[in-house]
Amino acid sequence: MTTASLSGELRDLYTEESARIQQQFAASGDGRSAVQQRTRLIETIALRLWQKSLSPDPSGPAGFALVALGGFGRGWLFPHSDVDILFLHAGSDSDAAYRDAIRVFSQNMWDLHLKVSPATRALAECDHIDAANVEFTISLLDCRYLAGDRTLFDRLHDKVIPKLVMREAQTLVQSLADLARARHAKYGNTVFHLEPNVKDGPGGLRDYNVACWLSLISAIDKLHDWPDDKALLSVSTRKQFESALDFLMSVRCFLHLRQGRDDNLLLWESQDEAAARKIGAQDLDVTDAASWMRLYFGQARSVHRVCAQLLEEIPAAWSSLYRQFQNWRSRVSNADFSVVDGLIYLQQPHALHDPEMLLRLFHFMATHGLRLSTTTEYRIEQVLPSLAATPPRGAELWLYLGEIFVQPHAADALRSMHALKLLTLLLPELMAIDALVVRDFYHRFTVDEHSFVAIESLHRLQQSQSEWDRRYAELLSELERPELLYLSLLLHDVGKGTPKVNHVDASLEIAQRCMDRLDLDPSERETVLFLIANHLEISFTLRRDIFDPETIRVFAEKMETPERLKMLTLLTYADIKAVNPDALTPWKAENVFQLYIAAFNYLNHSVDERLRADAEDTHLAQIRTLVPTAGKKLKTFLEGFPKRYLATYSATDVLAHMEMAGRLGSDPIQLLLERGRHWFELTLVTHDRPALFAAVTGVLAAWGMNIVKANAFSNQAGTVVDAFYFTDRFRTLELNLQEWERFKRSIIGVLTGEIDLDRLLRDRLRAEKPGSAKIKVDTKIEFDDSCSSRSTLVQVIAQDCPGLLHRIGSCLSEEKCNIEIALIDTEGQVAIDVFYLTSNGEKLRPEHQKRVENALRESLLSD
Amino acid sequence: MTKIEAIIQTSKLDAVKDALHEIGVEGMTVLEVRGHGRQKGHTEFYRGREYTVELIPKLKLEIVVPDGIVEKAVQAIVASARTGQIGDGKIFLTKMSDAIRIRNDERGEGAL
Repeated sequence: MTTASLSGELRDLYTEESARIQQQFAASGDGRSAVQQRTRLIETIALRLWQKSLSPDPSGPAGFALVALGGFGRGWLFPHSDVDILFLHAGSDSDAAYRDAIRVFSQNMWDLHLKVSPATRALAECDHIDAANVEFTISLLDCRYLAGDRTLFDRLHDKVIPKLVMREAQTLVQSLADLARARHAKYGNTVFHLEPNVKDGPGGLRDYNVACWLSLISAIDKLHDWPDDKALLSVSTRKQFESALDFLMSVRCFLHLRQGRDDNLLLWESQDEAAARKIGAQDLDVTDAASWMRLYFGQARSVHRVCAQLLEEIPAAWSSLYRQFQNWRSRVSNADFSVVDGLIYLQQPHALHDPEMLLRLFHFMATHGLRLSTTTEYRIEQVLPSLAATPPRGAELWLYLGEIFVQPHAADALRSMHALKLLTLLLPELMAIDALVVRDFYHRFTVDEHSFVAIESLHRLQQSQSEWDRRYAELLSELERPELLYLSLLLHDVGKGTPKVNHVDASLEIAQRCMDRLDLDPSERETVLFLIANHLEISFTLRRDIFDPETIRVFAEKMETPERLKMLTLLTYADIKAVNPDALTPWKAENVFQLYIAAFNYLNHSVDERLRADAEDTHLAQIRTLVPTAGKKLKTFLEGFPKRYLATYSATDVLAHMEMAGRLGSDPIQLLLERGRHWFELTLVTHDRPALFAAVTGVLAAWGMNIVKANAFSNQAGTVVDAFYFTDRFRTLELNLQEWERFKRSIIGVLTGEIDLDRLLRDRLRAEKPGSAKIKVDTKIEFDDSCSSRSTLVQVIAQDCPGLLHRIGSCLSEEKCNIEIALIDTEGQVAIDVFYLTSNGEKLRPEHQKRVENALRESLLSD
Repeated sequence: MTKIEAIIQTSKLDAVKDALHEIGVEGMTVLEVRGHGRQKGHTEFYRGREYTVELIPKLKLEIVVPDGIVEKAVQAIVASARTGQIGDGKIFLTKMSDAIRIRNDERGEGAL
C-alpha cells in the first residue's frame, strides 16, 4: 500500500471512528468510555503508521520503540488532547537512522489533524531529569508500550524509570509540588470559579494526575518497583476519585466536542448546555445550570482536597527549610491537638463528639494556619450525623464563631468547615449560597467563596506592604467588634441564593434568622444589619462627586458613627477585593479611603447638634418601643443630649443610662465597669460638675490605665454620661477581681473629695519609668469655630503618654472651659482628642482660645 | 471616523452613557484615571496628617463614531457632563484611519 492510500484509509478510519465515538458520547454521556475508545483509535492509527514507516513487524525494529506518554500513556485521550509519543532508541546512532521514518510518521499523524507532540530520546537520556523540562520526566510515569523493540521499552519501564525515581524522588516531588502550587495560585487557589477550567483549575483533572503521580513516586521510592495500581491510593480516596473522575472526564469530553478544540473552560453557555444534557449526571436530579454546577464543584472540591493533602503529606516534597518550618509549627501542639508536618491530629478522637471540641479544633486551625489531617477530617465526618440531631446554637456558638472569625487564618478554617458541611450544619442559612454561581461580568468566584475571599482579604491586610492596604489595616486594628464585621461579610450576599430580585433585602431577612440562631444581642444585630443593608452604599456614593460637601453630608449621616463608617469602609474594601483580583484598582482604593476621610471628618466636626426628645427618629422610636411606659422620664433624660449620643449607644445602652440616672437621687455617682474583648469600659452617670472629666481621667491614670477611647455627653438637665475605654497596663483588674470594687471606690472618693487625686497621681507617676517613644509625635492644637453653631472645637494631637488626658482635662477646667462633648481616640502612639468647648454657655472667644492653647502647650510640653 | 476621548467627573458616567445610548452610540471604553486641569488638588486633614489628593479621580471615555454623528455625540457628552463648575472635564477628537472587528475582520464604519 502506498503512503498516500494509507493516509486516505487512515483518514477515513479516523473520521468514521471519531464520529461514532462522538455519537456514542452524545447518547450515553460516558466520558471515560469515550476517551478509552479514542485512545484505542489513535493506537490503531499509530501502529499502522509504524508498520508502514518503520517496521512491518510491529515488534521491530531492534533498538527502537514507540512509547505513549502522558495522557496517551494513561489511556486518556480526550477528543482534542495532544498525543504525546516518544521515539525511544537504544543509542545515539539509531536516532539518525530513523530520522526520516520518524518525520514521515509524525507528518502522517499531523495530516490527520492530530496534535502530535513527538519526542525522540536515547534510553540513557531518559535516565536523568532535565531541569528545563521536568514535565518530560513526569510524563514518563505514564509511559506505555505501543510498538517496536519490547525489550528496549522494558529496560526503560522496569529499570531506568524506577531507578530515576528512587534517585530523584525529592526533586521530582518538589517540582511537581511547585508546578501544582503555581497552577493553583494562577486560579486564586480556589475551586470555586464561576467559569472554571476543568483541566488546569484547582480540583480539575490535572489535580487528579498530580495526586496519582505523587502517590506513584512515593510508592516506587518505597518498593523500588512499580506498585500495583490498586495500592496507589487508599480505598476511600479511590472511591471519591472514581466518581469525580467519571464526572470530570465527561465534562471535558463534552467541552472538546462542543468547542471543536482543546478548550477546557466551562463558560456559562457551556454550563447551560451541560445542565440541559445532564452531562456526567444522567441519573441525578439536575434542574438547571446552578444545580449542575453544584455537582461540578462537589466533585472538584473532593479532587482538590485530596491533591492538597497529598502535597502536604508526602515527605519527599519538603525542603529542609520547609521541614524546619513544619517542625516549628508542631510546637503549637497541646493536650487536645497534635501537629505533625503541618497537619492537625486529634489527641483524643472520641472527644470530638463534644461540639465544643469541634469548634475549638477550627479555632486552633484558624489561629495557627494549619490543615486538618485526612484522619481528622474522617473523624469529623463521622460525628456530623449525631451533631446534626442537636446542633450547637445560641450565644455559646456565636462566642466560638466570633473567636474563629478574628483569627488570622479564619478564611481557611471556614472553608474547611464548609467543605466538611459543618458550616452549613451550624448555619443552615448558608446552604442557599453553597457553590452558587451567580452570573455577572465582574465576579470570578461562587457566592460562598466570594465571602471567604472577602474575609481573607481583611486578614491579609496586616501582612500587606501596599500603601493603601496599610491604611485599611490601621482601620481594622481600631475596630471594637471586628467579629461583627466578619459575620456581616459572611452573610452580606446570602440573599443571592433566593429568587428575590433585591438580594440585599433577602440577605437581611436571612441574616435575621441566622442571628436568632446565634442569639446576638440587639446592638450586635443592629450593627450587622446596618452593614448588610448598606454594603453597596459606598460604591453608590463613589458614583457621586465625593468632593461635594453635600455628598459627604448625606453619606456621613447615613453612617451615624465613626465606628460604623470604619466597618462599612472595610466591608466595602473586602467586598470589592473579593470580586476578582483586579477589581480593587488603586484608583478605587484611594477613592474609598478619600470618602472615608471626608465622612470621618464630617462626623467628628458636626456632632453637637442637640437632640429633641419628641422628634421623629428611628432610634427614638425603637427606645420608646422598648419602654412604652417611660414616656416622660425618657423625654427628660434624652432632652438636650447631642444627636451623636443616640448614634453612639444602642437602645439597650440608653435605657441602662436612664436607669442609672434615675438612681442619682439616692446615689449621686453611678458607675458601671465591664470588660470587653479589647479593653475595659467604664460608664459614669452623674450630675455635671467642674473638672469632672479631668478627675476621672486622673483616677484612671493613677491606676495605670491607658485610655484608648472616651466619650463624654451631657443633657439639658446637666446629667453627664461619660464612657472611658481603657486597657489595664498592669493587669490589676484582670488578675484581681476584688480590685474592681476598690477601683470604683477610688473614683467615687476622688469625685466626692474624700481622696486626694494629686497624691494618687504622684504615687503612680513616681513609679512610672519614662518610656521611650517609638515615633515622635509633634503636638498640634487646632481650634475650629465653624463646625458647630454653639461650641468651639479643639483638636489636640499629641504623643500618647500616661496621664495625658488628665492633663488636658485639668488644663481645660482651669481655663474655665466646659466640655460639652469629648471624643477621644488613640492611634498607636498618637492621641487624637477632640473637645467641644463652651464658656458660660457660649463659644470661646479668640483671646480665650489663645489662652487655652498656651496653657495646653505649656502643660503638654512641660516634660 | 473620529475617536472621542472625554474626561468626565466620575459622578457623570451614568448620565453620559444614557445620553450616548440615546443617540445610538452603544459601545464605549471607560478608564479610571487621575489628573487635574485648572481644578487643582484637594486637601483633607485626617488625624493630624495632611492628606492631599493632587490628582483628582476622573473617568475617561473612549468612543469611535462615524463622522456623521461626531457633533451629536460631542453635544450629548457636553450636555450630560456639564455642571458649570471647574472640573467638568474635557473632550478631545482625533481622526481615525480605520477600524477592524477582530471577530470577523469587518473593516471601517461597519466595524464600529
